[in-house]
Amino acid sequence: MRQLWKIAYRDLARNRRRSLLTLVAVALGVAMLVTLTGLYAGLMEDSIENNIRLQTGHLQVRDDSYDQDKVSLAWEDLLDNSQEVAAQVQAIEGVRVASPVLWASGIVSTREESVGVRVFGIDPLSDLHKSVRDGLVAGEYIQPDDRSGILLGRRLAESMGVSVGDQVSLLVNTSNQQADEAAFTVRGLYHTGVPTYDDITVLLPLSKAQTFTRTEGRASAIIALLENRERAEAIAGALSTPGLALLTWREMNQVILQAVETSMGITYLMYLIVLAVVAVVIANTLLMSVFERVREMGILAALGMKGRQIMAMFLLEAGTLGLIGVALGLLLGSLGVLYLATAGLHLGEMATVATAEVAYGEVIYGDFAPGPTFVVAAAAMVIILLASLYPAWFAARLEPIDALRSQ
Amino acid sequence: MEVIRLQDATRVYKIGEVETHALRGVDLTIHDGEFTALVGPSGSGKTTLLQLMGCLDKPTSGRVLLKGEDITQLSSNKRADLRRGTIGFIFQFFALIPGLSAYENIELPLLLSGVNGNKRKDRVMELLHAVGLSERTKHRPDQMSGGEQQRVAIARALATKPVLILADEPTANLDTENGRQVMEIMLRLNEETGTTFVCATHDPRVVPFARRVVELRDGRVSDDKRL
Repeated sequence: MRQLWKIAYRDLARNRRRSLLTLVAVALGVAMLVTLTGLYAGLMEDSIENNIRLQTGHLQVRDDSYDQDKVSLAWEDLLDNSQEVAAQVQAIEGVRVASPVLWASGIVSTREESVGVRVFGIDPLSDLHKSVRDGLVAGEYIQPDDRSGILLGRRLAESMGVSVGDQVSLLVNTSNQQADEAAFTVRGLYHTGVPTYDDITVLLPLSKAQTFTRTEGRASAIIALLENRERAEAIAGALSTPGLALLTWREMNQVILQAVETSMGITYLMYLIVLAVVAVVIANTLLMSVFERVREMGILAALGMKGRQIMAMFLLEAGTLGLIGVALGLLLGSLGVLYLATAGLHLGEMATVATAEVAYGEVIYGDFAPGPTFVVAAAAMVIILLASLYPAWFAARLEPIDALRSQ
Repeated sequence: MEVIRLQDATRVYKIGEVETHALRGVDLTIHDGEFTALVGPSGSGKTTLLQLMGCLDKPTSGRVLLKGEDITQLSSNKRADLRRGTIGFIFQFFALIPGLSAYENIELPLLLSGVNGNKRKDRVMELLHAVGLSERTKHRPDQMSGGEQQRVAIARALATKPVLILADEPTANLDTENGRQVMEIMLRLNEETGTTFVCATHDPRVVPFARRVVELRDGRVSDDKRL
């Protein structure tokens, strides 16, 4: 075997250009797949993390009858003693922060523009909304007792042509299925880096939101962030109470998680296509190598090389090219992921095409995914060896005297 | 002692519907240490005969015996094993592996036979010396003259100390001087090592080197004389 490897290695070495081109093809193919895998892993992880920090949290407590799609404000759908429940949740070990929120739908208007928005009534002092507080880019953050202040996303403000200190009119649905309208002063503008959030979300202090919507101290949900998100199910189990619905981040991010699963099919198809190209390149290289060396095969056969040794020699050549190519590809691909993880990929306006449930950031950061990367590398190796079977078999079944006769 | 014996060997090639009778019943015995020239016009069956003796091909009918053992119906793997240890080939077109140095070409059969390390190295150097190419170790075929390439091929054929060396028109692509050198080397190695040589040729310059001349005509032995 060592001898065969030596012969195979020498053959690769004497056809430097061909070997190099094949290596480059394998390496680029694998590098592309590894980078894409990293980008994809990062995209999905970022999207889930964005959604958790801005919208769902790790755990939510709602009234059993609350229907999020309807953004219901009916008293029976809301939590009555929201401050107490929040305090209870906050007291559980492993809960970092818990705070009540009130959700309503509304319309923000200026004299020229009207935009449909989601109105979030929040406790401005809670760390739950740290992302918005840290994302303040103009003006001031709202205070709990502010009766006329409102926070807008910068993108929304820009599109409506308003800035800090301007008045806007906000129309909301109320608990008795009426609507109410009032004027608010834009206190500040925030920028979270997630366009689908910033474009349609306005924030009010919780108490103001409650009086405005006539929900009288009630909240839509208690949102909690945990120290470790993997404990969400366990903590939800501990909190289980009749009449309350407990939702984990996994349940609330079903859309993204399902998107991950469905798009995996497409991703795998793409992987297959790239790997098929790599396979064709390898098979082509080896077939060319066989055709060029028919007479050599005859000489080797005359020297006493058996068919299966000739086959093994070709497989060794392919395996060597494959191993080095895949290793180079892993290296290059990992560098690509490293670049994506540090510099990120700027999506800009493209991020706004996502739906509100899938919170793509304006910048996507890659994330090295060891499992899928290993699968890509192993699949590339297997496909390379499979692709080399035919040329190797072809070389092995050449009759020595026919091979010798070829010029 | 006999090295190889053909008994009523025929070889018919079928190309489409056309049958070509390359050999029409050859009886021939080659003995240990002989240096035989196989002569005859093109198409008389010299190469086919060499291929049968060299276990590269099977006869259509008749038998081939190597050292008394019937090798006619051996599988291709068994024939490969036999070639590796027992038979050396020298071809008209030198047949070196391009891209490999003189040293590496000679090393090939030793690698295939599993000769290891220093033993292999010593054998290659010994052979390079024997064919007068000690200085050309690292040269590749395209950096050597035809004569030098054929000398490398001779060294390679001898590497595993085979009992029989089959040369197919070894001088056909060489000028007079190089042809003479190659024949002299083969003859010297035949005398020094006792290796049996069969040399198919239609080069009249080769005949004077031979100790036995077998003439083929139309696929049959037409003359067999010892000089």
